Amino acid sequence: MRVVVCFYSYFKDLTGCSRVTETLPDGSTLEDLLDQLVIRFPKLASMRKSTLMAVGVDYQDRSYVLKTDDEVSLFPPVQGG
Amino acid sequence: MKRQLTITTQPIDEALLLRQRSMPAGMGAAVYFLGVVRGTEGNANIRALEYETFQSMAEHQISLLCDELAKRWPIESVRLVHRVGLVQAGEPALWVEVVAPHRGEAFAACQWLIDEMKRVAPIWKKPVPGDQ
Repeated sequence: MRVVVCFYSYFKDLTGCSRVTETLPDGSTLEDLLDQLVIRFPKLASMRKSTLMAVGVDYQDRSYVLKTDDEVSLFPPVQGG
Repeated sequence: MKRQLTITTQPIDEALLLRQRSMPAGMGAAVYFLGVVRGTEGNANIRALEYETFQSMAEHQISLLCDELAKRWPIESVRLVHRVGLVQAGEPALWVEVVAPHRGEAFAACQWLIDEMKRVAPIWKKPVPGDQ
């Protein structure tokens, strides 16, 4: 299963990119995806607890089961206003 | 409840927004908030803030907040403008208006919407250093 992952704010600096494609086994969750991303981008590890994750335009728990072609976004705590 | 949500790189034209205000019969309160970029961040002077957003998600999340706001208070209308991109110190970055029958619900709804927007809307800001 392939999913697209987008990074925002300083997560783009931590990963050196704004968008990647990841391949995971069927039934994988957002937590599994995060495990894989931390191996690929070790600088994300320090932000792991505070990382926010969305699928499409909705926040999702890390237990969310991914589907093919999901667009996942990872970003730090928000701070608008 | 009427709603107008705008995320834009263009300067916020407060005078135009005020001229466009609608106060139907039965509405007795208009509360608005103007958030301006401060020239300091901690002890340091800054020249500007650079705002970044995940715009489609920010619009969706603010729209969800408006759905919730309409359940909590009898609000006539909400208008929210958030500027993104480079915003110089002293310039507005956020403008929020709530129109309601009475001031109590207008103040409460306006404060709640701003607090919740800052909690869930994917918008980030980075200070641009100024003269020290």
